[in-house]
Amino acid sequence: MANVIIDGVAYEVQDGRTILQALDDLGLLMNGVDVPHYCWHPKLSIDGSCRLCQVEVKGQPKLQIACNTVVANGMEITTANERVQKAREGVMELLLVNHPLDCPICDQAGECKLQDYAYEYGLTHARTKEPRRPLKKRADLGPTILLDQERCILCRRCVRFTREISKTGELCVASRGDRSTIETFPGAPLDNDYSMNVADICPVGALTTKDFRFKIRVWFLDERPGVCTGCANGCNVFLGVANNQVYRYVPRRNDAVNDTWICDEGRMSYKRIGAADRVREPMVRSAGGGLASAKLDTAIAAAAAKLRAVTSGGAGVVAALGSAHATNEDLFVLRRFCEALGTETMGVAVPTGRADGFLIKAEKAANGAGARALGFKDAQAVADRLKAGAVRALIVLGDDALAVLGGEAALAKLECVILLATHHTPLERAADVVFPARVAAEKLGTLTNHAGRVQRVVPAVEPAFEAYAEGEILARLGEALGLQGFAPGRRYDAREVSKLLGEAVPAFAGCDVDAVGDEGRPLGGAGAR
Amino acid sequence: MTKNASAAPSGAEPKELSAESRARIEREMAKFPKKRGALLAALHIAQEEHGWISPALAKTLAALFEITPIEVMEVVSFYNMFYDRPQGRHHVYVCTNLPCSLRGARGLLRALESHLGVRAGETTPDGRVTLGHEECLGACAYAPMLRVGPTYHENLDVEQAKRLVDALE
Amino acid sequence: MALTAPYVTNYLTQHFADDAFGQVDGYVARGGYEAARKAITRMAPDEVATLVKDAGLQGRGGAGFVAGLKWTFMPKGADKPKYLVCNADESEPGSFKDRILMERGPHQMLEGILIAAWATGAEKTFIYIRGEYAFAASQLERAIEEAYSRGYLGSRVMGTALSHDVVLVRGAGAYICGEETGLLESLEGKKGQPRKKPPFPAQYGAFGMPTTVNNVETFSHVPHIIKNGKEWFRSIGTEKSPGTTIFGVSGHVVRPGLYELPLGTKLDEIVFEHAGGVPDGRRVKGVIPGGMSMPILPAGQLDVPMANEFLRERKSMLGTGGVMVMDETTCMVRVGCVISWFFRDESCGQCTQCREGTGWMNKILNRIERGAGTREDLDVLLDVAGKMEGATICAFSDAAAWPVQGLLRHFREDFEAHVREQKCPFPASFEL
Repeated sequence: MANVIIDGVAYEVQDGRTILQALDDLGLLMNGVDVPHYCWHPKLSIDGSCRLCQVEVKGQPKLQIACNTVVANGMEITTANERVQKAREGVMELLLVNHPLDCPICDQAGECKLQDYAYEYGLTHARTKEPRRPLKKRADLGPTILLDQERCILCRRCVRFTREISKTGELCVASRGDRSTIETFPGAPLDNDYSMNVADICPVGALTTKDFRFKIRVWFLDERPGVCTGCANGCNVFLGVANNQVYRYVPRRNDAVNDTWICDEGRMSYKRIGAADRVREPMVRSAGGGLASAKLDTAIAAAAAKLRAVTSGGAGVVAALGSAHATNEDLFVLRRFCEALGTETMGVAVPTGRADGFLIKAEKAANGAGARALGFKDAQAVADRLKAGAVRALIVLGDDALAVLGGEAALAKLECVILLATHHTPLERAADVVFPARVAAEKLGTLTNHAGRVQRVVPAVEPAFEAYAEGEILARLGEALGLQGFAPGRRYDAREVSKLLGEAVPAFAGCDVDAVGDEGRPLGGAGAR
Repeated sequence: MTKNASAAPSGAEPKELSAESRARIEREMAKFPKKRGALLAALHIAQEEHGWISPALAKTLAALFEITPIEVMEVVSFYNMFYDRPQGRHHVYVCTNLPCSLRGARGLLRALESHLGVRAGETTPDGRVTLGHEECLGACAYAPMLRVGPTYHENLDVEQAKRLVDALE
Repeated sequence: MALTAPYVTNYLTQHFADDAFGQVDGYVARGGYEAARKAITRMAPDEVATLVKDAGLQGRGGAGFVAGLKWTFMPKGADKPKYLVCNADESEPGSFKDRILMERGPHQMLEGILIAAWATGAEKTFIYIRGEYAFAASQLERAIEEAYSRGYLGSRVMGTALSHDVVLVRGAGAYICGEETGLLESLEGKKGQPRKKPPFPAQYGAFGMPTTVNNVETFSHVPHIIKNGKEWFRSIGTEKSPGTTIFGVSGHVVRPGLYELPLGTKLDEIVFEHAGGVPDGRRVKGVIPGGMSMPILPAGQLDVPMANEFLRERKSMLGTGGVMVMDETTCMVRVGCVISWFFRDESCGQCTQCREGTGWMNKILNRIERGAGTREDLDVLLDVAGKMEGATICAFSDAAAWPVQGLLRHFREDFEAHVREQKCPFPASFEL
């Protein structure tokens, strides 16, 4: 460890770290100690080219760049004095020499580091009379990203990203001097699983995603912390919300989960939230055979009646399929529900796909690990019981198990199928009662990622239609059935369920929605980090 | 420095390297602890054969060096002596840096521009000459001067320069 | 095609009029490779480095760092290969001395390399020569082959345990590759963008291995120091800057050319006595003493000894010894336009100040020359130059700033006249 003094305050920092890394480790960078920077990024190699992060190091005649200056014991660093301010002002003025002043039509306005730093550290007026360099304003880099070369400040973060993180290397800085531009090779567009991250790390409005471009001004967005549910990695995101609508995901830094990145597929999965095929109301199968919309109470009553009829014959005839899309809390309620019904046939099917050894995981749902930790077995166990004719009623969350169960035909034999679904699915055709469920962005709860990290989701938007957390639907149903532990008249409270889960299941101790915070905690009990 | 002059008329885009060029490149690679060190040499060799580095040729070179084509192209784009579009059969570069300018290099360049009917940075329509200017060729005491490809011609006057250019085939 | 011998010669160039000196037989016949034999067979490596250090040989590539001292930074031991790099990327406008050293004295340089290899334990030298120097490269290539065939290079050099290889590498037109880490990047087959320091080349150089970079002329001095001793070397030149250098004189002089003279020779002696002064009875207006990066000196300040310790007092430096003379007709704004265009064109583009500053200064200067400048522009120029100084990865940005500062320091009136008259008031100046 090295003892350093930064702006008169003593800190102990790890040896071998640069000043910016040390500040980042301490959580102070741009959060108590402001050292503005463009080319430096905590997850990319050190470039040292933008020269904005200059600070004064006692004993050094010249200012030093904080990104590449390794801390030494006894080092005294000043990040804010007139000399440093002059240097920043100089860099800012020069960066703006060729930068178009088109903020009013620039999508980055509002989250632009050039705007921010120019305001904070720059000169008050422009002294350039010279025309700016004319370059491509809409270079199509690939399926997801557009480049405005005029706005680019050549920090090379995007180039380093493609070489060091996505390892696809599509980008380069071509030419040299003030003719330098970011380019792709003819016929080799920027096209990889992580391409859109370059827009996040672009400190200016040079790289924008085609998806978000011109959708909404960012200052209208409320950035709410959440978790991507596209796969078992559970990448941390901010959901950009306005008008009760999610406009985008951007990655939220979590060094234990996703660093500062997210895959493109996950990023685009925000579209599932506001999708047209959401189940928007409860439905009950009518005498004529079709599903008809119903009030929630009616649907609960219908489901309860069906279940009661089946279970009157004895315990163990009900099977349940959890969903790896549901929260730990929802699944915990389902488990309680099953226990109260006396059934042990609980399974979960997790959809799978391609994995890449980086962020993209094979399990294409956010909470497979949580379901397993809660005792949900592979859906095959349920399928086997079904095949054996031991099951008469089925409660299903989602539709991921349909294939495993043997398709709609296998379900047709059942006397009662109750479906809790976020989106319309083929399984509806076999269902007697369908309940509209909430997606993760619409409820409070926790998800357990592939590595056993319990992470929180909070309601970022309120569905514009009638939908409920699966836990709440099951609680109502339990109440209607008079099941033990489902006391009548209680308002469903996910926070309370979360605490109960922590108490009832040792693995989840210390992992309730409040305890995990925005960063999450590993399963395994209160003491675990 | 003028580089990447307007495209000269040309045939098909070069793609392959001759066996001889490949052998030369391999000999260069062997001189370095990492074969990438020979990339500049390989680009010189490829250009000797084809006159410029097309995207297809960049791909061929990238495969030889086990790097991506864009790593080849960014190197091409950085150096004045590599070209990413077709060039005239002869490069005529007038040095116009200060020592040469002090001794009339820019007048000589203008004279060649009007003589050839092209501006610096352009290629004659017949593809014979690409005219350019360059920043210091290390012939400061022998100005004005120009180079035709690798060959220096020093202590020139305008008439000598015109004759020189006319003699190029 | 090949350069002729300098007008004034000394130990480096005394045989340059003689074609045979460039060939191995002729070189050996004139005592060539004896210094290397002496160093390798009779001196310990440390002894060689110490001798060269004590002789006070300053690097002749522009920065003037003591060569022998640089050698001692190389790690001892042989756990990984060590390299030497000969910087033959001579690109400083006004400088053409390395060209003649390679064209007419290639073995002298190779012998210096061999001695440095012994002193540093380097197994290989990369000679990085600028791509435009095709003739010099061909001479070097031939000389290297000759040296191999005579056992001066390769394994068991001159029958000793020393092995050393030399690889000739051609650049491709980028001034920045003369910067030592830009050169190393280029050597590795990349864009010649200088590396941030630390790490320094002696720890992490070519291909990640410990590396020492010296200039062509620096190596060429080394055999003479070994042969004649440090006292001899220190008896030439000034106390702090011993030895000779080859001044390249260009611009408005009667005899432009190369002059090998002791360091400390006065600038006016070079310009007037050796180069014959300005032709046609015109007067000198200003002289750039050390290649284009170095600030200009006005006519009244030419009585300065050409060594860093004296030139620094006049806010200039020796650089590469390229002396550019401008007569009284010269428009100093045009000079600024030419210089700033060069640096704009050659900036590698990494660092903000350099990439943007070089272009901005060039645009302002062009505008002033067109007659559209304002008084404020002059202050902006100085301010931008100030912002470019001392704040970037390499010294290129400083090198781009200094000449502009020099021009405004000594010839501000030229700039103000442009602003006042809204045109260039020097119709007889060189054409832009």
